[in-house]
Amino acid sequence: MIRSALASFVITAVLLVVVVGIVLVPIAMQMPDPLAVLDMFVLGPFRNPRHTGNIIEMATPGMMCGLAVAIMLRAGMFNLGVEGAFFLGGLATVATVLLVPLPGWAMAPVGLAVGAVVGSSVCAVPGLLRARYDASELVSSLMLNFAALFIGLFIVNYFLRDPTAGAMVSYKIPNDARLPRLVAGTRIHLGTIIAVAGCLLGTVYLFMTRAGFESRIVGLNPAFAAHLGLPIRWILLRSQLIGGLIAAGAGGIEMLGLYQRFSWQGLPGNGWTGVVVAILARDNPILLIPAALFLSYLQVGGDLISRNFDVPSEAVGLIQALVLLVVTSSAIMRNPRLLRFITGRKAAANKTSGPKVAEGSAA
Amino acid sequence: MTNAPLVAFAGISKTYGNGTLALDDVSFSIAGGVIHAICGENGAGKSTLMKILFGLEQPSSGAVLLDGKAVAITSPRVAAGQGIGMVHQHFSLVPSLSVTENIVLGQEPRRGAFIDRAAARQRVVDLAQRYNLLVDPDAVVRTLSVAAQQKVEILKALSRDVRVLILDEPTAVLTPPETDELFERLRDLRAAGLTILFISHKLREVRALASHVTVLRAGRLVGDAPLDAIEDDAIARLVMGQAERPKLKRGGRVSGAATVTLADVSLAARDAADRLHDLDLAIHAGEILGVAGVDGSGQRGLVSVLTGRIQPSAGAIAYDGHSIAGLGTAALRQRGLAHLPADRFHDGGSKRMSLVENAIAGAHRLAAFSSGPFLKRRAMEARTVQMIERYNVRAPGPKAPLAALSGGNAQKLIAAREFATEPRFLIADQPTRGIDVAAAAFLHERLSELAEKGCAVLLITADLDELLALSDRIVVLYAGRIVARMENGPDLTPERLGPSMLGLESAA
Ligand SMILES: Nc1ncnc2c1ncn2[C@@H]1O[C@H](COP(=O)(O)OP(=O)(O)OP(=O)(O)O)[C@@H](O)[C@H]1O
Ligand SMILES: [Mg+2]
Repeated sequence: MIRSALASFVITAVLLVVVVGIVLVPIAMQMPDPLAVLDMFVLGPFRNPRHTGNIIEMATPGMMCGLAVAIMLRAGMFNLGVEGAFFLGGLATVATVLLVPLPGWAMAPVGLAVGAVVGSSVCAVPGLLRARYDASELVSSLMLNFAALFIGLFIVNYFLRDPTAGAMVSYKIPNDARLPRLVAGTRIHLGTIIAVAGCLLGTVYLFMTRAGFESRIVGLNPAFAAHLGLPIRWILLRSQLIGGLIAAGAGGIEMLGLYQRFSWQGLPGNGWTGVVVAILARDNPILLIPAALFLSYLQVGGDLISRNFDVPSEAVGLIQALVLLVVTSSAIMRNPRLLRFITGRKAAANKTSGPKVAEGSAA
Repeated sequence: MTNAPLVAFAGISKTYGNGTLALDDVSFSIAGGVIHAICGENGAGKSTLMKILFGLEQPSSGAVLLDGKAVAITSPRVAAGQGIGMVHQHFSLVPSLSVTENIVLGQEPRRGAFIDRAAARQRVVDLAQRYNLLVDPDAVVRTLSVAAQQKVEILKALSRDVRVLILDEPTAVLTPPETDELFERLRDLRAAGLTILFISHKLREVRALASHVTVLRAGRLVGDAPLDAIEDDAIARLVMGQAERPKLKRGGRVSGAATVTLADVSLAARDAADRLHDLDLAIHAGEILGVAGVDGSGQRGLVSVLTGRIQPSAGAIAYDGHSIAGLGTAALRQRGLAHLPADRFHDGGSKRMSLVENAIAGAHRLAAFSSGPFLKRRAMEARTVQMIERYNVRAPGPKAPLAALSGGNAQKLIAAREFATEPRFLIADQPTRGIDVAAAAFLHERLSELAEKGCAVLLITADLDELLALSDRIVVLYAGRIVARMENGPDLTPERLGPSMLGLESAA
């Protein structure tokens, strides 16, 4: 099980290296010293502990958002609300520590808890709409992300904005609320440990608990779940609540771990990264850890060359776009329901062998 | 013309990735223009051999010879190029597409960049007429009966200029009249020069149709003879090894109080085949009530209302005298319902989950298999191993995925799961479809054992021998109504059931 997932992970990773090479080599050839560019991309991230630290910092939200996506995907849900949940979770956490008078020790835990609950609504609402009205969670969550963004920006502007700061950013997050840093010389913080522990717990949840077992049955064969009489709607909703809480919690952790102020002006993109991470790891929580690290390594390498050489940042964007393309296309080809959704055919997931009762057309 | 046989298998062995040796040095040949039967127990390797011929699996050693020349059949595309077509044991049609779309899928006639729908439809109409396999080209496959779906499968296979047609257990899903019609068509095809490879567990069918039989047992070739040179008993012995051919005993059980009652139950369903009209029925503790009927006579609707999947549009259903209105499947399972579904892979399990997960699902919330929120993986596995042994499921191990089992063995495992719940009311829908003779006899024994212990058993089956062998009483469904009710007895024969099954006679 994990072996086959690992095999496909390695294949995709190798494919990614090839793809990156195809983009990077021609770019490097135009530089006066092409080898230095390649060297910077491949080995640069490990030359300086600060840059190695960057990989781990960046992988932290990647793991958690990946975990959120994986848990929902295992139940057969393509809920893209992770992005909005991450954003709103970060904002609600910062708002809580700024606006609610709390003793110093309670700031981080209370802030994170509030952030997780508030932010998870972006995943929960599409989940409810799906459970209640069979509305595609993919579409509704995608739209809700933007609703979350603009509500969030409104709140920052009218309630949290520090007028003395030049830009539209919040007041400073109090020191007491920040998560402790773990490694001197880097910004690696407590959140990384939480993320790794989360991935391990995710494995326990999916493969060793009743709830995880049930959600996998629903995800693999809804008709089988119906035959067993499992409460399918509740199971679907539950997995999306759990996913939402994790993604929103990740947003709060990101804020308290790395930021001075709430300064996101748009959707930060960590949720999308989470989708890529989850697909790369084939929804296997343990594999989320290497998958997230690998993707952030590519990202840090790309950042390094665009900062140090005259490489346009579009080139780095191109690399990321290709990574996205390779990973998602492999997922789409593998996943009949997603394929059907994209080709516009009716989803077969809610089809069971039982007869459909005619609605009002008894004739 | 050379003298080389059309198809020859030369020393074929196949070991699956998980180490299962499915075929062991199998060699025989198939002459052109005949119907050639392949027999063997569940897991004997029949489907594996056919998949090798059709390019879906590659042999670990040995070769396939076509017209005397070794051909590497590396994919179904290569097989199609060689004129080999296959109808699978489990259908592979797309339910939401039309008959035409399914048949031309992958070889659509085009006009520019677009599919030429008119040409596609015409092609299907011509094909259907040429082979006398009449189906509505515009019907959506989901709405067709199983027999009609099978015609579509056969047409799909024939649509690519086929000279060898493989049929993997084509009759398992058919009623006797449908089987007869299929056989007529197959004889026509043979007369038109096709070679047909035919897999069945039923000797009677092999005898009626084929001229040559090959028997596999545990992956080895144990018999290969023209049918006029071999007796039925000899074939049965080859199939089963030394085992005696089991005898079934007829009903005659004493039944108790009514466990399940239906009063004037109707169901208004979208598909006509699911509708029910004014059903009155009681299933008593300790009896096996057989339901006869052509596929699509309302069996699916009946199962759906009895299992709580759908609420009837009128009438009342009671378990032990208590109405079950509004109760779902979970609540009914708690009241002692078990259900062996007709489509085992669609509703009965998950191919990608392990045998353990498939065998315990549904019972996983019992204290035996979970404590608090956690599953007791070890207890689950131990129980599965027991089931595998008791039901003689041929499996590489409890952790293998369900997909690694042969069709019949997967069904045995699912039957084991449902029977193991010690039900008070069991719906057995085609319980031995696709199961070999010995395993079928074993399941029959389990069914009568359950009834003797006081379980009320509803047996829905297209196999009239099975129906007559097991039932105490029989009702006949036709177009969603009960058209006949009878006590089972020595004088009841398939011939007497026939007319009411076809709606020609109503004795209710
Ligand atoms: N994909 C697979 N992976 C591993 N083992 C397999 C796979 N498919 C079949 N087997 C094993 O190979 C053996 C032969 O299976 P096969 O499907 O050929 O049997 P069969 O004769 O068609 O049986 P049935 O009558 O039940 O359909 C079985 O022991 C089965 O468990
Ligand atoms: Mg088979």
